[in-house]
Amino acid sequence: MMRGIATIGALISVVLFPWPLSVALAVCAAVYEPLVPLAVGILFDVFYFTPQGTTLPFFTIAGAVGTGVALFVHSRLRTGTL
Amino acid sequence: MKKTSLAKRNALISATNLSWGSAALLGVILLLVLRVSLPDIFWTLTAPAFRASDAVAAANHSFFTNFSDAKSLAEKNEILVRENASLAFENTILHKKISSLSALLGSSEKQVAQAPSIIAHVIARPPMSPYDSLVVAQGAHAGVTPGMEAFGAGGVPLGVVASVTSNTARIVLFSSSGVSTTGWVGKNNTAIVLNGAGAGVLTASLPRSADIVVGDTVFVPGPGLIPVGVVSRVDGDPSSPVVVLRILPTQNLFSVTDVLLRSTGSALFTSILTATTTRP
Repeated sequence: MMRGIATIGALISVVLFPWPLSVALAVCAAVYEPLVPLAVGILFDVFYFTPQGTTLPFFTIAGAVGTGVALFVHSRLRTGTL
Repeated sequence: MKKTSLAKRNALISATNLSWGSAALLGVILLLVLRVSLPDIFWTLTAPAFRASDAVAAANHSFFTNFSDAKSLAEKNEILVRENASLAFENTILHKKISSLSALLGSSEKQVAQAPSIIAHVIARPPMSPYDSLVVAQGAHAGVTPGMEAFGAGGVPLGVVASVTSNTARIVLFSSSGVSTTGWVGKNNTAIVLNGAGAGVLTASLPRSADIVVGDTVFVPGPGLIPVGVVSRVDGDPSSPVVVLRILPTQNLFSVTDVLLRSTGSALFTSILTATTTRP
């Protein structure tokens, strides 16, 4: 249940809230779902990226990096002794 | 025979295997495909969400601004502050115009015909939009074309229309990172190149000898000289001959509700127009 709320909340915040808050929610959601930062990053670029104004889709790249970090941390926690 | 759901019968569509994150990613990729292949349908479908977001933001604003009687006072005060700012900018434009015309003694003032304007409601703005861009609810159906300039209250130029769909348009602001605009600064109208620094801020480099101080107004070409910002900080090593100006926009981009779109004919935003792709 918590996973669903975190995921949907992060996605909805892209349209409803200022982007720093959405980023914070995506980071929080990554604790439960590592793919959420990538999904949120892509969603940001789907809505707001303007290829005529900016050359790189920064939020997709940042989301991919966030997801990479989250997956790494998850894998370490899974195989850890704690 | 007992009926089972599709998810239970199909090994590929298993609710237990599909996590919330995977489902979100799948949904977002579908949206991306829709946005790239059918931009008109995409914006038609998503516009209500943006309008709802706008309404929520407005409701929150009035809730947090004040309560009961004080609320109406705060709203009135806000309107007056906005009107005052618009009048101040119009006054600055007129002052500049008078001084320019006075300098051109003997020459007759040419009447510039006003191009038709389109009023567009802003449905997404910074900080929701992280790229310093605006999404407005007017598109090709209303006559919006790429390259039109967007003006805020008091005729302050904000940016240029970068892409248009049938019912929406996206405006790249002058403060968008990587965007360059020509302009002037100070009492002597020193020519500068304004570089977007993101979050509504502009920067410009010029020689220390230009003697620009905090509070100097920055202008861009339009019908006359149009103020776009004020120098808020002058950075630079005392030993360096060059200083960097930090310029704050005259219009608060975070509270822009409507813009005026107009073809001015001036190539304010050449970097955008040359970089225009066929993508929506």
